[in-house]
Amino acid sequence: MKQILSVLEGVGSTWLLLLRAASYVGTLPRQRTRFFEQCYLIGYTTLPIVAILSFFIGSVLALQAGYSMQNFGAKQFIGSLVGLSMARELGPVMVAILLAGRVGSAITAELASMKVYQEVDALVTMNIPPARILVLPRLAAVLAMVPVLAIIADLVGWFGGAIVAKYVAFISIEPEAYFTALRRFMKFKDVMNGLIKAECFGFVVTLVCCNIGLNTRGGPREIGAAVTRAVVVSLILILVLDYFVTKVLM
Amino acid sequence: MNNAQQTIRVGLFFLLGLALTWVTYEALSGGGFFSKNKGYSIVAGFESLKELKEGDEVRMAGVKIGVVEKTRLAGRRAEAILRIGKDFSIPRDATASIIMAGIIGTNYVGIDLGSADAPPLAPGAEIRTKVTPDINAIMTELGNLGQRLEGALGAFGNSMNGDGKNPGLFQKLDRLVTENSTKVDTTLSNLQDITTKLNRGEGTLGKLINDPALHDELVATVGEIRSAATEAKSFVADAQGILAQVKSGKGPLGTLVYDETTASDLRATVTNLRQVSDKLAKGEGTLGKLINDDGLFNTAQSTLRKADRALDGLGDSGPLTAVGIVANSLF
Amino acid sequence: MPGPSQTRNPFTEHETPAVSVAIEGLSKSFGNRVVLDQVTFSVQPGEIFVLMGPSGSGKSVLLKHVIGLEQPSGGRVQVDQYDATAEETREKVRMAIVFQAGALFNSLTVYDNLALYLREHDLASEDGIREKVGRALQILSLEGAAEKYPSELSGGMKKRVAIARALVMEPQLLLYDEPTSELDPVMSATISEIIALLKNEYHVTTLVVSHDRDLALNIADRVGILMDGRLIFLGTPADLREPKDPRVAAFLYPQIDLQNPRYKQLET
Repeated sequence: MKQILSVLEGVGSTWLLLLRAASYVGTLPRQRTRFFEQCYLIGYTTLPIVAILSFFIGSVLALQAGYSMQNFGAKQFIGSLVGLSMARELGPVMVAILLAGRVGSAITAELASMKVYQEVDALVTMNIPPARILVLPRLAAVLAMVPVLAIIADLVGWFGGAIVAKYVAFISIEPEAYFTALRRFMKFKDVMNGLIKAECFGFVVTLVCCNIGLNTRGGPREIGAAVTRAVVVSLILILVLDYFVTKVLM
Repeated sequence: MNNAQQTIRVGLFFLLGLALTWVTYEALSGGGFFSKNKGYSIVAGFESLKELKEGDEVRMAGVKIGVVEKTRLAGRRAEAILRIGKDFSIPRDATASIIMAGIIGTNYVGIDLGSADAPPLAPGAEIRTKVTPDINAIMTELGNLGQRLEGALGAFGNSMNGDGKNPGLFQKLDRLVTENSTKVDTTLSNLQDITTKLNRGEGTLGKLINDPALHDELVATVGEIRSAATEAKSFVADAQGILAQVKSGKGPLGTLVYDETTASDLRATVTNLRQVSDKLAKGEGTLGKLINDDGLFNTAQSTLRKADRALDGLGDSGPLTAVGIVANSLF
Repeated sequence: MPGPSQTRNPFTEHETPAVSVAIEGLSKSFGNRVVLDQVTFSVQPGEIFVLMGPSGSGKSVLLKHVIGLEQPSGGRVQVDQYDATAEETREKVRMAIVFQAGALFNSLTVYDNLALYLREHDLASEDGIREKVGRALQILSLEGAAEKYPSELSGGMKKRVAIARALVMEPQLLLYDEPTSELDPVMSATISEIIALLKNEYHVTTLVVSHDRDLALNIADRVGILMDGRLIFLGTPADLREPKDPRVAAFLYPQIDLQNPRYKQLET
């Protein structure tokens, strides 16, 4: 019962936070410095890890596909398989998971420590709503940066697959054939689909992490607990949302 | 790092994202020189587009000349709008057909070269089309053949083995030989005499073995199988149909594969057959001839072997391999 | 000379009236634990009211009610004529609080900490902000620390920066939560002097929560003592020098008796 209540409280406070932040959208132009700072943290500094991970995910996909398909001569479809899986599913989900782990945890840690050390209270007494200067720039930055990360993840993953397809002896598919197969079964809609998914995930992860950070109570010990909770909740939400967003976008 | 530098990086990063998205869009939407603004489109009407979908290739004599831009229903037929690269012209008498490049659904529209002196098709014009048998039609034929084969095998089994009430040929032969083995020896010489004497006495040979009707039936059965096999040359079988039925254990063929008793029956039949032939080996006379002579036994055995192989194939391979084996054993 | 009930704004020319605080029957409990029980007192415009009490007596919680960070379980808190819990009160009355640990924004320099309020509310141009922040830093002798980050400051400096940040808000009501805790005696005296100085110079209504006896006796206009959620004393510092209530005496002038230590008394 207590758990159910706390889940409901979490859902409610997240929505309230979203509404509050949304009501300050007009102040965004004045907050561009903060916006760019968050863009930098969320997008630019997350790029290397996104690139590395998506490269290897694309490679592994190609490798697994090649291994499984060599027995019944469907190797020429590796390109399509890697392309579709990366664009529709793995690209967005992986970006979202990295975001939760790298950005979401940082957001929660920062906001939780601001809350614990009364910086948030100080903002409130200064009549500066935390939703305006702490949450809104982050949400806006995530919306701007996640599609960029996702498209890079897609493309890097495709190329990772192409390299594996060419150089692994038992696959040996030329990049031309790989990309022809990729293009034959894919439309831009598939990529767009993935970008929308990534956008949803990124937004929800950021919002939830902000909310958990701002609702931290107690001493510094709670900061760690809040970060753990934020990452766990984010990961669960990503995968649950994944199903429903995919369903809606079909 | 100062703010300006940070802002510049973020800006560049964002532009990079936009550029990559644009490149992806260009690459995936028909792409490059077949994109929407280039080339011209023609209409190809079919009774069914089968597995054809937007984005599939259009090839002329195997060379890619365009893509399927759109598929749509137009009244009582299906139409594919083909976007052809502007460097290619198609003779008016060229014919388009939907061609299957792989068994799991890669199709393209193949256009033949037409005649050299025919005027080219204008943009928006309709191209002549023809229907090619597709995998489904072939599968259906294969299914019909399968059913015939089942019927034939069933009749064959009954005549050889008896249907429960009446003993079959083998039982009869077996009994004849076991019960009269001593007599057979003594009568063999007599028989030989009689045979030579009755050699011209047409039909008596059958009566001597005391069941001409069964013999006729057997020959007819084998004929039926052979005709089925001959017929099969004009068809290809529906492996999926057979497979589904076989897997669910339905139909005689299914029973044959999955029912232990039928299998052992078959085995016993063959053993009987061998015993008979062994026992009659020395006889080398008319009984042997009955079994060996007009190829009846050979035909029966080879048919059985083929069926056996087909069944083995069905049993432990994927559907595609099974189709291959069925087809192989039939032709 | 401005009258005692006027807050002479240190940064703008116009004058704003100091505000009063009225606390009536304020109760607060967290779960089953009663933190405040029917507390009633008021702070007059332009006076320094020092609220004392042992740790855990509910002083800081009371302060949070005044600034609207906590909702009362019973009773009410009024600032001027507004309800302290209403959000618009913070727009009508400029209140500032100096938190116990300073609550400085760790990601901003001292200068940006002070400038944040002005920037966010668009109260001055960058030049105007520089002037106001510079003056606040000057008042608290912090000129050299402008470009430092809070983590580079000592405890006493943090408190002074926090006070400076509050001052930039041109408050009508200034709240201090344990301003002298964790400081050496000299620094404590310095902070006490600053609090008194600000009140004398600018006549801002001041509510100090502290258990620092010297601070209370030297700068307070009136003193309240909170014990176990109840107000057990309300009077002037003069009354405190010879307290009649034994609980007040025991709190303010505790005997250190090594022969009969308190933890042993608790056992009996």
